[in-house]
Amino acid sequence: MSIRAGKPHVLGRAAGIAPAFALGGCTQAPVIPLFGAYFPGWLLCALVGVVAAVLIRFLCILCGLDAILSFRLFTYLAAGTVIALVLWSVVFGP
Amino acid sequence: MDKVSTARRRPVGKIIAIVCIGVAILYGVHVARVDHAHPSTDDGSLDAEVVHVASTVGGRLIDLRVDLNQHVRRGDLLYRLDPRPYELVVAQAAANLALAEAEVANQQRAVGVKEANVVAASQGVLRARADRDLAARTVDRLRPLSASHYIPLQEYDTAQTALHNAETALVQAQQASAAAQIAVGDLNSSLAARDAAHAALDHARYELEQTTVYASQDGYVTSLHVKTGEILAPSQALFTLIADDQWYAVGNFRENDLHTIRIGDCATVYSMIDRHTPIQGVVRSIGRGVASLDSADLARGLPIVAREMDWVHVAQRFPVRVELDHQHPDLLRVGATTSIAVGSGPACR
Repeated sequence: MSIRAGKPHVLGRAAGIAPAFALGGCTQAPVIPLFGAYFPGWLLCALVGVVAAVLIRFLCILCGLDAILSFRLFTYLAAGTVIALVLWSVVFGP
Repeated sequence: MDKVSTARRRPVGKIIAIVCIGVAILYGVHVARVDHAHPSTDDGSLDAEVVHVASTVGGRLIDLRVDLNQHVRRGDLLYRLDPRPYELVVAQAAANLALAEAEVANQQRAVGVKEANVVAASQGVLRARADRDLAARTVDRLRPLSASHYIPLQEYDTAQTALHNAETALVQAQQASAAAQIAVGDLNSSLAARDAAHAALDHARYELEQTTVYASQDGYVTSLHVKTGEILAPSQALFTLIADDQWYAVGNFRENDLHTIRIGDCATVYSMIDRHTPIQGVVRSIGRGVASLDSADLARGLPIVAREMDWVHVAQRFPVRVELDHQHPDLLRVGATTSIAVGSGPACR
């Protein structure tokens, strides 16, 4: 459908944080070999999303942004989800 | 003071929350659609066609020219069986053929003799007929003389007996001539025997040729466990040859992704031997059927269907076969784990 049209948009959005994901440059299979087993790439992205959500909360508390937020759980959850999805798009996306 | 600060922070906080959640949902939907439009699987394996190398004849392995995992080319000598027994069979068959050919010559001579007999018998008929005619004329001549008693009656009786004997001799000669013609016969039986001997010799030569086994494909030798001296039964495979002219990745794709896969689609395949090197591939076929474990159809009787109340059904998967570009022979080993992405990935850009 509008996948092709959406792609530059995705890349454009990801471009701002691209330097954070140096992996994006090299081509590789969407699996992570670990101790002789292959883990799917999205599992790594989910893990990174969880860690990112915790980090964002930590940073927000440090700079006082946390105080003005409402629905904190959902906000941090959404932020972590977006980061996980962007990471997947950049590193493993088609 | 506290109430004022709460009232002030609420709208900004709510806007940030709504923006974050909205972006997450929209982007999540977008990523889900992108993922669905570009089917991929990590559950694939490399595959190639194999040839079980065997000879149609049995015997002792006397010469093995290949090693395990060696690469061979089409037409290379792989191994030889002891040819002695088959050489002896060839010699025997050649002797049988010579015998059959000699028998043909014998029968040709016999037929020649019998044909000469036919000619002689037909001439015997002519002679008997001439004798009979002479005897008849003698009887005709003597009849009036005998009636007028110019000659003794004894002489006339002798002439009549001679006529009777001559007629009997003619019938005998005619029968002998007919018998001689029937007896001539033909060469068919000996010619058929010669053809059979010829075919037996050809077969023996074919079996002798089969004691030498050549590679039918370019490929790699696998599953070779024996050394020279092993005795092989006819058609017993000595090793397996992995043909390396065509390599495939076979990946299991969920049935709800199959409609986005077309025969001839480009695919990016990673062999886990080196997961950083994309291999280009082309979708060649999509599995037409897999066995279902949910129910079983017996050849006789009623189908077996399990009682269940499952609300969630796991998607069935079908094997999709992707032919690979084999520029990287080091990455291609049958059974290697592969990741396959159809219609996307660096190999399809």
